[in-house]
This record gives sequence, C-alpha cells and structure tokens, in this order.
Amino acid sequence: MWRNLLSIRQVSRRTISTASRRPLENRVPEKQKLFQEDNGLPVYLKGGIMDGLLYRFTMGLTVFEDFLFSYHNNE
Amino acid sequence: MAHQAHSYHMVDPSPWPIFGAAAALLTTSGLIMWFHYNTSTLLMAGLLSMLLVMLQWWRDVIRESTFQGHHTPTVQKGLRYGMILFITSEVFFFLGFFWAFFHSSLAPTPELGGQWPPTGINPLNPLDVPLLNTAILLASGVTVTWAHHSITEGNRKQAIHALTLTIALGLYFTALQAMEYHETSFSIADSIYGSTFFVATGFHGLHVIIGSSFLTVCLLRLIKFHFTSNHHFGFEAAAWYWHFVDIVWLFLYMSMYWWGSC
Repeated sequence: MWRNLLSIRQVSRRTISTASRRPLENRVPEKQKLFQEDNGLPVYLKGGIMDGLLYRFTMGLTVFEDFLFSYHNNE
Repeated sequence: MAHQAHSYHMVDPSPWPIFGAAAALLTTSGLIMWFHYNTSTLLMAGLLSMLLVMLQWWRDVIRESTFQGHHTPTVQKGLRYGMILFITSEVFFFLGFFWAFFHSSLAPTPELGGQWPPTGINPLNPLDVPLLNTAILLASGVTVTWAHHSITEGNRKQAIHALTLTIALGLYFTALQAMEYHETSFSIADSIYGSTFFVATGFHGLHVIIGSSFLTVCLLRLIKFHFTSNHHFGFEAAAWYWHFVDIVWLFLYMSMYWWGSC
C-alpha cells in the first residue's frame, strides 16, 4: 500500500509539473477578429451559437419567473 | 460603413438592462415570499436570473472594450466617474448602519441594562481573530497594489502571483469570519447589539465576497492577456473596490469590535 501511495505522489507531481510548463497563448487577436467581423450581429450574440442559447435560456427563465410572480401575488 | 465623428461609445441594443430589472423585481419579491411564507422558489429563480444577466452583461463589456476597441480615453473617463460614484453610494449605504450602531450604543436604553455591550452579551475579543482579519485585509491592500505596479511595469508573472495572493487573502478573511460567526455566543436576534453587529459585518462580508469575485475575474483576464500596461481599467476598478472594502472593515473593527466591546 505504501508503494501505491508513493506512485500516486509521483504521478500527481508529474501531472502538475507538465501543466505548469505549457505556456498559455495570447488568443486576444483571434477574439478581436471574431468580434469585429462585419456581420450585423449585436455584441450579445456575436460570440457564436452559445450566445443565442444562453440568451434564450435567460429570457425563458425571466418570462417563466414573471408568471411565477403573478401567481404568487394573485393568490 | 459609417464612422462616428466623436470618441463616445454608442452601444448595441441589449436585452440585459430589462432582464436585469426583471431579475431584481423577482429577487426582491422572492425575498418577501421567503421571509413571510417560507417558500424560496421565487428567490432562487430571481438570484439565478441576476447571475445570468450579470455574467452576460459584463461579458459584453469585455467584448466591447478588449475585442472591439470601443473604450477610448473619453469612455474610460466616464467609467472612472461611474465607479467612483458607485463606491460613494456604497459608502452611504454603510454610513446608515454605522448611524444605527452609534444611535443605540452611545445611549443604551434601560432594556439593555443601560450599558454597552448590553447585559448578558459576551462580545468577541477584538485582539483575537478580528485583529488577524484586520492584518489580512491590510496585507491584501499591499498585494493588490503590488499587482497593479507589476501590470504597469509589464511584469506578467509577478502580477499573476500578486493578484492570486490578494484573492487568497480575501478568501482567508471570509473563511475566518464564517468561523467567527459560528463561534459567537450571541445571534442576530440578541437585541440591537446582535442586529447592528451582524447586519453591518454581514453586509461587509458580502462585499468581501463580491470584491474577491471581481478580483478573480480580473485574474482570469490577466492570464488571458486582456490587460496592457497602460490600459487595465477593469483591474483598477476592482482594486478601488477592494480598498473600499478594507477601509469599511477598519471602521467596523474600530467601532464595533474594539470600542463596542469595552
């Protein structure tokens, strides 16, 4: 069991040191290109598919809550 | 494509203001439902909406500034005024709670035993954890300033270390304060002493959490190369807010913990 613990210690050390050696690349120029594209989209939808999904989810939740509010206040 | 002949930012139409207003309505009415009818559905839904609106609104501000270049010096000046005015409004918010504290503690009523702390209240020892918390927040003020200098000098590694340390100190404060709350022999229901203590320190704790979150977002942006050495207002705004939180604590410590325990 002690040998197993030692090997876990070695693996975790290896994993951590590998991750810290990989440098993070500067992706700001790519983002600048994406968000400056002349496609007529407003900024809150310009990032891609996820923007639209998140917007619709937020709207759906807020509208649902408005009904919840009316229900609670008209009992 | 038309170009503007001024340096201001004409924002795209956005749904977040009206969704934010709806979320605020739902959260406040949800609080009422929770207080008076013991049901938390509306509150949870309202808080979730608030979180979603905040995430998307501020995500859009980052897009407009870092990715689209709309934050000219003119726009930045407006943002500086805005942050200063917001922090000023928060100062007034806390002033109210300090007023309430001094109103009750400078002239304690017969119901309290004519003394402050009131009869039966065992206050926390100000030289114990509260003093440590004071040292922690003061140190975090130093580390956030260190982070700022590192950013302006273009020293990426040091800036990341200093900002991470600042956040760690903020989290340490929060953990210690939560532990202290658990350890007190008095609760919020224990006369005006409990009310003033927990409402004032409670709102302060909430601001520490907000400030830590703001700094964490800045850390992520710092790592992702969003800041330049002469344009990093998001970080400056977070640092101003953090210093404000520190100063509020100093007043809380001196008045409620120290003077208020004698």
